[in-house]
Amino acid sequence: MDQRLYEQFRDIGRDIYLGGITSSHGGNMSVRVGNRIIIKRRGGQLGRLKEEDFVETSLHRKDSGLLRASTELIVHREIYLQTSALAIIHCHPRTAIVLSMSRDEIVPIDNEGSYLLHKVPVISVEYASGSKEMADAIASGLKGYKIVMLRGHGCFAVGQTLEEAFHWCSTLEEVSDIILEASLLHEPFIEYRRNAEGYQKW
Amino acid sequence: MEGWAGKYLEIDLSSGRIENHPLDKEMARLFLGGRGLGARLLWELVGPEVEPLSAENVLIFCAGPLTASGAQTSNRFTVTTKSPLTGTVCDSNSGGWWGMQFKRTGYDALIVRGRAERPVMIEIQRDGKISIQDAGHLWGKTVSEVTEALGQNNNKRNVLCIGPAGENLVRMASIMNDGTRALARGGPGAVMGSKNLKAIVVEGSEKNSANDPELFRFMLYETGKLIKNSPITSQAYPEFGTAVVMNVVNEIGALPTRNFQQTQFEGAEKISGETMADTILTGNRACWACPIACTRQTKTERAEGEGPEYETTWAFGAQCGIDDLPAIAEANYLCNDLGLDTISAGNTIGCAMEMGEKGLVDTELRFGRADLLLPTIADIGYRRGLGDELAEGSYRFAEKYGAVQYSMTAKKLELPAYDPRGMQGQGLLYATSNRGGCHMRGNMLGPEVLSLPRLVDRFANQGKAGIVAVHQNEAAVVDSLVVCRFTNVAVSSEYFARLLTAVSGIKFTADDLLKVGERVWNLEHLYNLREGFGRADDTLPERLLNEPVPAGPSKGHTARLHLMLDEYYQFRGWNEQGVPEAAKLKELELEGV
Repeated sequence: MDQRLYEQFRDIGRDIYLGGITSSHGGNMSVRVGNRIIIKRRGGQLGRLKEEDFVETSLHRKDSGLLRASTELIVHREIYLQTSALAIIHCHPRTAIVLSMSRDEIVPIDNEGSYLLHKVPVISVEYASGSKEMADAIASGLKGYKIVMLRGHGCFAVGQTLEEAFHWCSTLEEVSDIILEASLLHEPFIEYRRNAEGYQKW
Repeated sequence: MEGWAGKYLEIDLSSGRIENHPLDKEMARLFLGGRGLGARLLWELVGPEVEPLSAENVLIFCAGPLTASGAQTSNRFTVTTKSPLTGTVCDSNSGGWWGMQFKRTGYDALIVRGRAERPVMIEIQRDGKISIQDAGHLWGKTVSEVTEALGQNNNKRNVLCIGPAGENLVRMASIMNDGTRALARGGPGAVMGSKNLKAIVVEGSEKNSANDPELFRFMLYETGKLIKNSPITSQAYPEFGTAVVMNVVNEIGALPTRNFQQTQFEGAEKISGETMADTILTGNRACWACPIACTRQTKTERAEGEGPEYETTWAFGAQCGIDDLPAIAEANYLCNDLGLDTISAGNTIGCAMEMGEKGLVDTELRFGRADLLLPTIADIGYRRGLGDELAEGSYRFAEKYGAVQYSMTAKKLELPAYDPRGMQGQGLLYATSNRGGCHMRGNMLGPEVLSLPRLVDRFANQGKAGIVAVHQNEAAVVDSLVVCRFTNVAVSSEYFARLLTAVSGIKFTADDLLKVGERVWNLEHLYNLREGFGRADDTLPERLLNEPVPAGPSKGHTARLHLMLDEYYQFRGWNEQGVPEAAKLKELELEGV
């Protein structure tokens, strides 16, 4: 793998872990390089990625990369096949996970979140890890959104670069923290955004 | 029945006596079934004075408490005997349908002893009638001929038999069940041949029902989810078979090539699971109650059949310098039909190829000679010409020519498809394996390559012994339950413990099961000690210990067994000679043996 690309993985991975939006061994990342996928190996730690922690596999067909790649390879492959994504991040932002268990969409109430994400759909599947059912549902969701939540599990974000996908993940968690903390005030929400109902229909 | 049928069957072919015995409940608790129960019974029945191919040796077929329960892959069973190839305790393990059907006859085990005067077969009918029948008309027939002649029907009537290799006492002969499933390692087919026993046919009607159906259903759902979510069990094995491992092992420089002279094979891609899927694969098939379906159904221009799986593809491929996948598949078909262990056959042929190239033996065999595979395999099965010498296994063959250094074996069992110079833990595993050089006693492919459960440094030595021992113990308990080890890729002991609890109504924890595994491992080890094996036998071929890998990612490495063996013995609670300390035996409730 190209040294610069490795450094992107390493730095973004460390930021995800230190940012507290995934556990020591949770989450995964990949990029699309031509007709290949470079993805973190199963069990590699996002916060301390080494060059040998990556597996290169085919975009269009399964191969022995299945043996070492992240369990979510099936989801990454389906996203690349169904969308124009060039990079994917999956992580476990905890406040967003909390919200995903009581609602079918996360609609930001803060200004930046509204501007950047508009709305984040929550997807629910029976087998919420590495299944074809999950891959189809996530890929389908990402056709219309840059980031989606899998109920009770975590988010999948896409971008042209890892940094872009990371931006959506960190924004989602910020959005979710704000929703949660605002609800703890038990005070009436003053709508300050013109045509805010449009976000619900996004 | 709930886990155990509570009885076993004993048939003496010398006298024709057929007896039922109650299964000791305490023995069942301590050893479960399958491999564990087999080892316990063998300990009592076959001492050091018994020659493996004599009438006094026994064959012990064992189901486990999960066999036929409906748990994922609960189709398996084992056969335990004293190996004619290694002289050690030996169990082999097979899937398909026969194990499930045998359990449904209402027995936990079948012990066959003695020797019939003429070829015979055993039949257990659906109504419980048991008979020893003349099988003279079947002697000399191949596995497929016998299986068809005896009316194999996957869900009702299942056939287990030997082929010509077993009849001819080939030391690497397998016992085959359901046509294409093999109890292969260590030569149990030769023991069956020595008893003039051609086949065992079973029909069963009893159910292995769960004591706690609600817990059982929940556990099936949970384990099913894990198997479905694992890319290995839900995608890699079903789509590419076990040969999906080929490219990965080659890439890291641990694929034994040309009798372990190199660790990377330039033709690996051509014999990989991916290439198989693109060329000769016609479909896949599953054993009873298996959601994985790793079995390959293949077809070449000349033949069709099942397989090959990874080890076979390696044995007739990289080990022999052959990249002709159809030829490898046909070699597999022939081994199945003759009843031969493909790993030992391929490894031994590779040994002969190197000795042929070095002018040590008068043979045409050379690396890359795919055209000689089929005739050589047939010669082994029928003990013709050089095949008669190869039928003794690579150790005895090489020893005969004063070239034992070319035999890639541990305790005379041919090594499989991972070079321990590129996977240090695998070397310790081979060396300490109770049935000889084998990858199924706790494969280190998981931790050293696939991050299962965590990735460890494959070149590290210190700290590796404990990991090897734990994997060995876990393998022993899975083989005693009995379920398929591929399930174990996704499902751990905490799930197996709850499955067993649900089926049997007896509370088992994950720790209980691992203790069973440790107990089984120690008993097998004690058996080998009683046979005269010792520390000097816990070793590897000289080549692996002293010849550094010449090129590739493992370049410069040898198998540094000397850095791991003492640590391993200490972890096991054994003294420097490998003898278990009294405290360990007490802890494992093995004081009485």
